[in-house]
Amino acid sequence: MMWRDGVALALRGLTGNKLRALLTMLGVVIGVAAVIVLVAIGQGASSLVTSRIETLGTNVVFVTPSAGTFYPVSETTTVARVLPSGDHVVPVMSTGAKISTPDNQSSALIDGTTPKYFALGGLSLASGHFLTTPELEQAQHVAVLGANQAANLFNGMNPVGSSVMILGQQFTVIGVLNAVGQGPGASQDNAIFIPLSVSEFLFSTNQLSELIIQAPSPNIANLSADELTRLYTNALGSANAVSVASEDQVLQTLQATRSTFTDLLAGTAAIALLVGGIGIMNIMLVSVTERTREIGIRQALGATREDVLLQFLIESMVLSLSGGILGAAIGVGLTQLVPVILKTPAIFSPSALVLAFVFSTAVGLIFGLYPAFKASALEPIHALRYDG
Amino acid sequence: MMIRLVSVSKTYQVGTETYPVLRDIDLEVPHGMFTAIIGPSGSGKTTLLNILGGLDVPSQGSYWLNGHDVSHFNREEWAHERNHTIGFVFQSFQLIPSLSALDNVALPLIYRRTPPKQRRILAQEALEQVGLAKRMNHRPTQLSGGQQQRVAIARALIGQPPLILADEPTGNLDHQTGEEILALLESLNRNGKTVIIVTHSHEVADKCRQVVHVEDGHVTLAGVLS
Ligand SMILES: Nc1ncnc2c1ncn2[C@@H]1O[C@H](COP(=O)(O)OP(=O)(O)OP(=O)(O)O)[C@@H](O)[C@H]1O
Ligand SMILES: [Mg+2]
Repeated sequence: MMWRDGVALALRGLTGNKLRALLTMLGVVIGVAAVIVLVAIGQGASSLVTSRIETLGTNVVFVTPSAGTFYPVSETTTVARVLPSGDHVVPVMSTGAKISTPDNQSSALIDGTTPKYFALGGLSLASGHFLTTPELEQAQHVAVLGANQAANLFNGMNPVGSSVMILGQQFTVIGVLNAVGQGPGASQDNAIFIPLSVSEFLFSTNQLSELIIQAPSPNIANLSADELTRLYTNALGSANAVSVASEDQVLQTLQATRSTFTDLLAGTAAIALLVGGIGIMNIMLVSVTERTREIGIRQALGATREDVLLQFLIESMVLSLSGGILGAAIGVGLTQLVPVILKTPAIFSPSALVLAFVFSTAVGLIFGLYPAFKASALEPIHALRYDG
Repeated sequence: MMIRLVSVSKTYQVGTETYPVLRDIDLEVPHGMFTAIIGPSGSGKTTLLNILGGLDVPSQGSYWLNGHDVSHFNREEWAHERNHTIGFVFQSFQLIPSLSALDNVALPLIYRRTPPKQRRILAQEALEQVGLAKRMNHRPTQLSGGQQQRVAIARALIGQPPLILADEPTGNLDHQTGEEILALLESLNRNGKTVIIVTHSHEVADKCRQVVHVEDGHVTLAGVLS
């Protein structure tokens, strides 16, 4: 039996019983399609995250108080004083509050902060402008809306110039942020930014929830979390215990999440392909039994054990690979639909396609081995007499 | 000598019982002979023919086929030997139902690694030889019994083996068709092939130059003409 003959024979068998072939392949089809779509979604999500991270200023560290302790606004100047000159310190005071327009209302995290947040937080504007220094110094009642807030409160109309009510006080909308979608920074879509001076007054507090610090030298960002923590705890005085995360560490956390996701994906794929493989093995065993006489005839005419083994092995591989091709086509199709239906980006990766083919062929080979071996072990004299 | 069996025995084991089917058989079939194997049902004719074709192995004794000692051939050696030396014709035709007449006929050549184009040409020739050129693309189920047996004979011929083994080739056919099949086998014999057929029919046996009687596991030779 030559490969070409085996493939031709297997293809004829497939087209001769299309429904059965299709049902047999189903496991592999679903497995391969799922892998391609999931990989695309994974790639989409991680590219989104990476691009978000890249828009953040370099050498940014996030200093948050350890549970329960908050530092007062005045600490900003203390920190600024202790840090090497040139470091930017952006204080953030986050408080939840109800907001409303004449037509709608919602709740939001109100971030009282300074103009520098814009650059350090990696924000971008859809329209209007971000908080300015005069607005901060004069404690003007102005607000910048995250994309979701703008959409919900103003029914999709451009809100710049309109006003919103926060805790009973009227604010003029001066800007709207671009939508982030998913990933870190997504919380910005639901946030509202007001001048720190206004939020101190509005919420009657001077307790900050976070300091974002940008150091001019990359050394800071390269320090370990412990070193950073020590540095900033010293700067803030031991009374203010903090925890510190650098951009690097955020990235590392993301990487870890991503590899967990990859493991999960591999697990899913393995299970799907296992199920597909068992389906193929099952139908190949049935096929060997049904075709016992055919095997006997071939043996009588000169087929060796190897010839018979190869014939059935090729058949299971063709079956599985056809499932793989069908699954890949469906997977690629679904990948196009994901952004439309799930509103998340999906990036098709050719390597997933290659992997899918390699795996589906391997599944055919591995799960076809036992049925093919059974076929090749038949005694011609018994096989010829078999009536089924 | 095409075939030489020396004290060949065959016993079957069913459960704990052993059934001797062939006992101590000696048999010689010269090249170019037309031989009939006849005997009562269950006497061991098919068993004998299967041993001759390497589909079954003797329990004891030695077997020379076409000048070679094949007594200790393994499965692979027998596969090769069947492919090159023997053409089989079965009572129940034994065609593969999913293949066309042409593809059925070409089967032995697949296992000789003959390229597809050449296989096709040779299979067409073989089908023409048995008078079925017009039915090449028919499936076995689309052919009459006689036509199916012709396809089987074409398949036995295609590899040009020197020996044809036929187990009751006319057993499933009406008298007229049986005669035609027999005539076909006779013409093969005239062209130099050794033909051995198992038959119940004395009419058929009478046409053969050598008649082997099988009874109670013993063989007696009758009517060797040469
Ligand atoms: N695989 C087997 N296991 C056990 N006994 C067997 C086996 N094959 C054949 N036999 C026995 O061997 C004996 C001869 O069988 P065989 O088929 O050779 O007879 P036959 O002469 O061809 O009969 P028929 O004319 O009916 O075809 C029978 O008694 C049968 O029961
Ligand atoms: Mg018989």
